Amino acid sequence: MNKYFTRLSILWLLMIGLVSLGIAQEESANKWTQFRGEDRSGKSMESLDGVDWSTSKPELVWKHELGSGFAELTMMGNRMYTMTSQTIDSTTGSEFLAAYEVETGKELWRQKVDSIYFDPDGWGDGSRTTPSIDDEHIYCLSGHGKLSAHHLKDGAIIWQIDLKAKYGSAEPRWGFSTSPIILEGLLIMEVGGAENKAFVAFDKENGEIVWNYGKGNASFNSPLLTTIDEQLQIIFANGKTLYSFNPKGDTLWTYAMPFGGITAMPLLIKNNKIFLSGIRNPGFVIVEINDHKATEFIRGTSMKTDFNTAVYHDGYIYGFHVASLRCISAETGEAKWTKRGFGKGSLMIVDDQLLVLSDKGKLIIVEAKPDAYVEKTSVQALEGKSWTAPSFVNGKVYVRNLTHMACYKIK
Amino acid sequence: MKSKLIWSLLLVLCFGVIQAQELDEIISKHIEARGGAENWAKVNNMKITGRFTAFSVEEDWMAIKTNKGQYYSELHLGKHAVIEAFDGEHGWTIDPWHEISFPRILSKDEDNVFQQKSSLMTPFLDYKEKGLVAKLIGKQDLEGVEVYTIKLTRPSGKYETWYIDANTYLEYRRDSYWVDFTYPTPAESYFEDFREINGLVIPYYEEKMFSQRNRVLLIEDILFNIELDEELFEMAKSSEMEALSFMKGSWDVEVQGWSGRANKWYPMDATTSTIKYAANNMLEEKIRYKTDFVMPIVSQYSYHAGSGKYRVCVYNDFSGETEMFIGQISDSTFTADNTKMIYGGMQDPQAFGKVTITPEDSDHFNVLIENSFDKGENWNPGNKLIYTRKSN
Repeated sequence: MNKYFTRLSILWLLMIGLVSLGIAQEESANKWTQFRGEDRSGKSMESLDGVDWSTSKPELVWKHELGSGFAELTMMGNRMYTMTSQTIDSTTGSEFLAAYEVETGKELWRQKVDSIYFDPDGWGDGSRTTPSIDDEHIYCLSGHGKLSAHHLKDGAIIWQIDLKAKYGSAEPRWGFSTSPIILEGLLIMEVGGAENKAFVAFDKENGEIVWNYGKGNASFNSPLLTTIDEQLQIIFANGKTLYSFNPKGDTLWTYAMPFGGITAMPLLIKNNKIFLSGIRNPGFVIVEINDHKATEFIRGTSMKTDFNTAVYHDGYIYGFHVASLRCISAETGEAKWTKRGFGKGSLMIVDDQLLVLSDKGKLIIVEAKPDAYVEKTSVQALEGKSWTAPSFVNGKVYVRNLTHMACYKIK
Repeated sequence: MKSKLIWSLLLVLCFGVIQAQELDEIISKHIEARGGAENWAKVNNMKITGRFTAFSVEEDWMAIKTNKGQYYSELHLGKHAVIEAFDGEHGWTIDPWHEISFPRILSKDEDNVFQQKSSLMTPFLDYKEKGLVAKLIGKQDLEGVEVYTIKLTRPSGKYETWYIDANTYLEYRRDSYWVDFTYPTPAESYFEDFREINGLVIPYYEEKMFSQRNRVLLIEDILFNIELDEELFEMAKSSEMEALSFMKGSWDVEVQGWSGRANKWYPMDATTSTIKYAANNMLEEKIRYKTDFVMPIVSQYSYHAGSGKYRVCVYNDFSGETEMFIGQISDSTFTADNTKMIYGGMQDPQAFGKVTITPEDSDHFNVLIENSFDKGENWNPGNKLIYTRKSN
């Protein structure tokens, strides 16, 4: 009897486990709720097993016009959210947060968040940041620095803060570019405000400050949320310093970087190492964190990333070295392969495949393996300048640029 | 000991000779791979049209190269249209990225870039005659391509490293110095898509990376030996000075004075004048004419971009005085006066002057000189100079 109940219990537990795992995978598969995906790694946990690359090509599901902006396409359930814009003339226009049907790309609602940010150099107008989503709300930051919380169902504004007016934040040269992190009840981001408000954790319910720290203008990169040494950490690369905070805002450690002003965000590799890369020499540094101490692991010149962050997979870093797609060893920094022709593109990783979007909108699927550059398939997904990295949910890749967005079925 | 030294010296000498022979052979094969010296000798100039990518945006592009090392190009760099030209030694550009709308002279570092851009083939064609020095560094695997590595030093002392594909003898990559906002920066250039045209082999794709920049040139069409106006390579004037270019030339000048009593102009003198560009953006006139006395006058016309106004500096060699006038063009008529001029914190107490220049046609223009004793409230006619272009 006991044996019977023990077996039943084990079976029951296994079933619960399997169901939970299924739910977790389903949940993960249905979401791309923030900049660079669920853990900001640019990695989807979905599987591409069964795709016959010799016969299958990315298949267009839908493509629609979209106003200018650089926000990634974020998704939860059957809805997709992003930032878009509309110009009235050469000096006026608006930025919007907008929602769409995932299946069709049909617009469901749009909510004006600010006047449009016009890029002074012509790189592209509109918001430069990706909204972050929780169960009921979505949070976004405009190019001019208006941070707002909205209801997911209709985009109605719950609260809005003008960072420049309220906290004296200086508008960065190419607009506010940091994508906020949601952590439990907090919304954490670079504000670049006066009076010790370089980094701020807002109460996401009302926009009130919970904690703030540091001096300095807002950088162009976004913070990393990760767990190192069993400690949840929020990591900012600002100026020439890398900062780590716990969720309460206590400084865990800092590190003096060999370069400043990086645009690509910090990338977690191998549980306790962080890859930082910028266009200036030396190009990259990998920092190892042990017992809340950061020390240099290696540095090198083989990867100099500009504005799009690299991805890490099985001991190797894949990213854009200036304008060449490159694979380097995360142990030695040695370049394993280089492929030019994609300009200053972007990438993400699904399973063991890189989904690369060239800076002119070509989507290329490449094996994430160090042995050699192996291209599986490609499609001209968009036309024109494409600087926003793809998102991936439920076997489909979602891409956008300054004029269009599109969905392609991969699996 | 002595014999060992001699043997060592001989070995080094032999190695040098072998290496030089190998280098000559590589360069010879490279020239052959690019179509051969004979075919390239037939090329006086090339007009290349295609697409140019900067900041991830592809736009039209054109360039002209000549066998004298001249280069002229019109391109779009992001939101700005850029013109650049090089006469074989020095160059100029109109590049609004520098927040300058007028042509400016290139620096030595920029000239080095244009030395590279202007090569018809690669610099290895006739490199010795042009004073370039090549040195074979060796053979290596570069990004999976077996290449010969050659260091090339220009007469200026600037050098570049060329990687020649050991199988095709076509250039694979060049490491050199480029410029980013006038500052020298290392650059990698890659050459691909070699195609044969008129017996010449030319890379139709060139990609360059320097600093954080990425530039791609795609050739669509090449015309050979087109008719060229050498003025194309001469430094352009600013558009504002170009608007005064109608004054350039040699002139017969009729000088008239104003008779207040008779209320009409009367002839005073007949003279000549030469007006030419004394500097790229400065017109200078030398004239002498008699009013009461002989007035040798030197006038210099320039444009001050900061204030958006013309400036005229007039030196009177009779009185030894210099006056400055500030002016503008409106409805094709140039006017300048000195009512706003302050010298040493004070306004000159002398009478004020105004000059009005009106073009009639390409061979005629008039200059009216007026004066005022009430800071420009009222202007009184002084002299009128009527210019007629000399027939020769």
